[in-house]
Amino acid sequence: MLEHVYLIALIPLAASLVILFGFKENPRSRAPYLGIAAMLWCFLQSCAVFHRVAASALPLSYEANMEWFRLPVQIAGKAFALPLQLGVLIDGPAALMLCVVTLVSLMVQIYSLGYMHGDPRLRRYYAFLSFFTASMLGLVVSSDLLVTFMCWELVGVSSYLLIGFWFEKPGPAYASKKAFITTKLGDCGLYVALLLLFTKTGTFQISALRESVAHGYLAGAAATAVALGMLLGCIGKSAQWPLFIWLPDAMEGPTPVSALIHAATMVAAGIYLVARTYFIYLASPVALETAAWIGLITAFLAATMAIVAYDIKRVLAFSTISQLGFMMCALGAGGYAAGLFHLTTHAFFKSLLFLGAGSVIHAVHTNDMRRMGGLSKKMPITFVTMVLATLAIAGVPPFAGYFSKELILKAVYQHSPAMFFLLAAAALLTAFYMTRLIMLTFLGAPREEELHQHAHESPASMTGPMMLLASLAVVSGMALAHAGFIERLLPLSAAAPAEELAAREFPEWLGAGVSVLGALSIVLGFLLYRGPAFETAKALKRRFSGLFELLENRYGFDAFFLRLVEAADALSRFCFWFDSQVVDRVFVDGWGLLTLIWAEAAQLVDSRLIDRTVDGFGLLSLDLGGGLRALVRDGQVQEYLMYVAIVVSLFAALLLMR
Amino acid sequence: MNTLSLITFIPLLGAIIVLFLPKDRVRAIQTTAIAAASVSFILSVALFFFFDRATPGMQFVEHADWIPSMGISYFLGVDGLSYPLLVLTTLMTLVGLIGSLGVKNRVKEYFFWFLLLDVGMLGVFEALDLVLFYVFWELCLVPMYFLIGIWGGPKKEYAAIKFFLYTLAGSVFMLLAILAVYFNSTPHTFDILALMKAHSAWSLRFQILVFLGFYLAFAIKVPAFPFHTWLPLAHVEAPTAVSVILAAVLLKMGVYGILRISYGMLPLAFHWFLPYLVVIAVVNIVYGSLCAMAQTDMKKMVAYSSVNHMGYCLLGIAGLSATGFSGAVFQMIAHGIITGALFLLVGVIYDRAHTRDIAAFGGLAAKVPVYGAFMFLLCFASLGLPGLAGFVGEFLCFLGAFARWKVYTAVAVLGVLATAAFFLRMLQKVFLGPLNAKWAELPDMTARELISIAPLAALSVIIGVWPGWVLNLMNATILHMTAFVKP
Repeated sequence: MLEHVYLIALIPLAASLVILFGFKENPRSRAPYLGIAAMLWCFLQSCAVFHRVAASALPLSYEANMEWFRLPVQIAGKAFALPLQLGVLIDGPAALMLCVVTLVSLMVQIYSLGYMHGDPRLRRYYAFLSFFTASMLGLVVSSDLLVTFMCWELVGVSSYLLIGFWFEKPGPAYASKKAFITTKLGDCGLYVALLLLFTKTGTFQISALRESVAHGYLAGAAATAVALGMLLGCIGKSAQWPLFIWLPDAMEGPTPVSALIHAATMVAAGIYLVARTYFIYLASPVALETAAWIGLITAFLAATMAIVAYDIKRVLAFSTISQLGFMMCALGAGGYAAGLFHLTTHAFFKSLLFLGAGSVIHAVHTNDMRRMGGLSKKMPITFVTMVLATLAIAGVPPFAGYFSKELILKAVYQHSPAMFFLLAAAALLTAFYMTRLIMLTFLGAPREEELHQHAHESPASMTGPMMLLASLAVVSGMALAHAGFIERLLPLSAAAPAEELAAREFPEWLGAGVSVLGALSIVLGFLLYRGPAFETAKALKRRFSGLFELLENRYGFDAFFLRLVEAADALSRFCFWFDSQVVDRVFVDGWGLLTLIWAEAAQLVDSRLIDRTVDGFGLLSLDLGGGLRALVRDGQVQEYLMYVAIVVSLFAALLLMR
Repeated sequence: MNTLSLITFIPLLGAIIVLFLPKDRVRAIQTTAIAAASVSFILSVALFFFFDRATPGMQFVEHADWIPSMGISYFLGVDGLSYPLLVLTTLMTLVGLIGSLGVKNRVKEYFFWFLLLDVGMLGVFEALDLVLFYVFWELCLVPMYFLIGIWGGPKKEYAAIKFFLYTLAGSVFMLLAILAVYFNSTPHTFDILALMKAHSAWSLRFQILVFLGFYLAFAIKVPAFPFHTWLPLAHVEAPTAVSVILAAVLLKMGVYGILRISYGMLPLAFHWFLPYLVVIAVVNIVYGSLCAMAQTDMKKMVAYSSVNHMGYCLLGIAGLSATGFSGAVFQMIAHGIITGALFLLVGVIYDRAHTRDIAAFGGLAAKVPVYGAFMFLLCFASLGLPGLAGFVGEFLCFLGAFARWKVYTAVAVLGVLATAAFFLRMLQKVFLGPLNAKWAELPDMTARELISIAPLAALSVIIGVWPGWVLNLMNATILHMTAFVKP
């Protein structure tokens, strides 16, 4: 079964093509079932792969390649056609990610049956979903960084298509472009990193790169440059500071798509790439430290922004950014397993939160939490599952988030206590804003009777996936952390040869302290947002309006990037002005003008000087003729003959004398 | 068998037949032209099965004396560098002719000039004698002048004369350069292959002078900054199919000339020129994409994107490595297919709406989904989305240049970002958002348009996913060309 693991990426691709070209657009189209069946198969296969990898005593690393194309290169003085490989590399992280991606995608596709019911472009929607998942799965299994990069970009373009799925509305059309361009900005770094990587090592293959790093062919400044370039790509893709601006806008897409983007595909890609190339980061302490700080800043900033948002999906978007910051910080701090573990648990509860939010939006047709309230009775299943997910993300034991967050905090503490405290603060904020979300949406009295009246629980196709994900949000942490399983599955030694990390003892009381404070911030959220009008929170907002405004403006990062775009526009207009007015007018037409002037001058010389001279000769001969005629004007033919004879004999004499 | 001659001169035969047809027999004229181009195309594709991928040298060679007293011969042949371009030319000519079926005005002359242009372009890629090369090179000029000047847009005369004079100015210097190498070779010869071996006797000073003569002609064709301003003008004024040929094939003659003649015959001068070439390449890439970003006319935007994309070719060449050269050739093929298709697509909308103003549209994706899908696919191909042809060419060019020019290449990557920006902005303004009520009756693509565009779209996917088919053709030749290059 490992021999055919590539099918896990290819089957959804085939499904998407079949859906796109084989079905007619029709709201009752059967296309969704094809997508779902394909994904179910992939999920089962992934589970089998996971079982194989997890059951083996040592983390199995399976690699299989085939030749893709040959590239003429010169390496070490030899010129030859280097074969580039297309292949799969399955190890612990890849197996884990396979399960996460296929499961979340499966849940999202089933959920979409209800959520997108009756959409006129259902076929296209499912084709894009399958394509999106296929690109992500390709990224997960690929054994070659060039292929990874290709899938990476395909993930980007599918997210572009899905965020802009309702393209008739200006919002999604703008948001999809913003997402693509912002991530592309990060990809420039990744692009250069790949160029440098190949120049230094002559390969894109991950296993060969690992050898190169182990032998020290890639070290020092080069390793740092490669790692930082890649990090820039991951900052874009995983919405880290300062490129996180695209993610909140990406909420314009259909909500199930948001669930997919935020949990399993797209944003997970950045974290996964860092993990996949962790051996390069280990060769560069600078890059690791940068990653840790970027993650920390992101985790904290995004958590603060989540506190003031009223759009339910935006709160979750900021929350995703913040949680991704946790993962990045963990990876940077050396918590390899912790980061990937959190990626897994986060995928479950975050996709659940989005699906829950979608269920709410489906019921009340608004994203604004100020218009909700008191929905718990109307939508019990949504309410309960959302609460479970909130407990998980808030890190309340024994829910999933508790285990992974605990592991992260431990790793970060061992790296640097100062970073630990900031990150712990972000964790407390998480508990707070999630409580706020639950309070505003589900508890208290309904703030708009009209909406509340029409609200109803979603159909089984939507609640089913939510219940399944909820059970995972409860148990996945416990199960994976059981007896150190996750650390065995994701050993650092697989990422790099044994690397000694600073062993600082993590005091037990600190972990407990964070848990207690987390509980307190839940209570605080409960108190602040109690009552239908949440007066206490509003009073606070009036009191600190400056701070709130800063947070609502997202610290001005959006404005900054907008100004950057304006500057680029101005530059482009200048370039075009320069091109048409200077290069074309002066440089090119100038030559033409010079030629014309030259031609005019020549014409002048020609007509005034040369032609006049010619005319002059004509006139001269006329004058001469006139003079001669005056001399011999008598008309005697004999006389003329005599002159002729004299002249001829003179010439003859001259000739003979020579 | 004289396959190359057949490929080259069957279009000429077609052109002559077209001349003898009465001008109101439009159907017969079109059929003749397309038949001639099809035969030429099929023959060139047939060579695919006989082309030896392991041989670096010339294949299908034809040699005959032409003017023996001056050492001028009729000498044709293709290798891994020129064969892909040969197929590109026959393919794009056929596509262009199909795209020209809508031409109503002076049909007979149009198809005559079009076929004659084909002869010239094919000859340039096959000729191995400098005089023959020059004859074919100039042969492209006159038909192009008439095609733009008669069937063009509002400023067609100005565009045509600018194109003509500009290119001719370059050709004059090339002629001087050709004479210079002729008189400095012993024995005097115009044979390109022989001249490639003669350069060791030439001083750097002489090589530089000759190089600059050739370079001027090639740079104007590429077009390389600052000789590029004829291009947007010519593209905007030219009829659709002529734009297609201009972008897909004519520009490639410049890059081909640099690789075949400037690099092959004048290696010392080429080395001397590298630092300048890389700067020109980066300017082409970044400046070209910025200029494209400022455009409001779709066709002009695509024209400036050509400046940007040909910059990738120049960058690959400036890398002076096997990877860079293969990238340059691949990028020529990819750009030919993709940009050719983009010009056709812009023509489709212009035929219906009689405007190309980006701001005049909006929300078309809902109204013309097939057209929208092709436009999205090809714009993404052009902006270098992996899995499509543009990416492979672009990436190989960057990869080939990076070892030699790290900072320049890194700067050029910003051009990739700008390219994405202007294509996406165009897509957003034209296809997304609410439907502009003015275009509520816009019909989707017709069968004829699909026949000319769909194969190009399919090709851009196929060689993007499986670039080996193209790379295998050129690998041996390019490794041979760069065998003695020091990294």
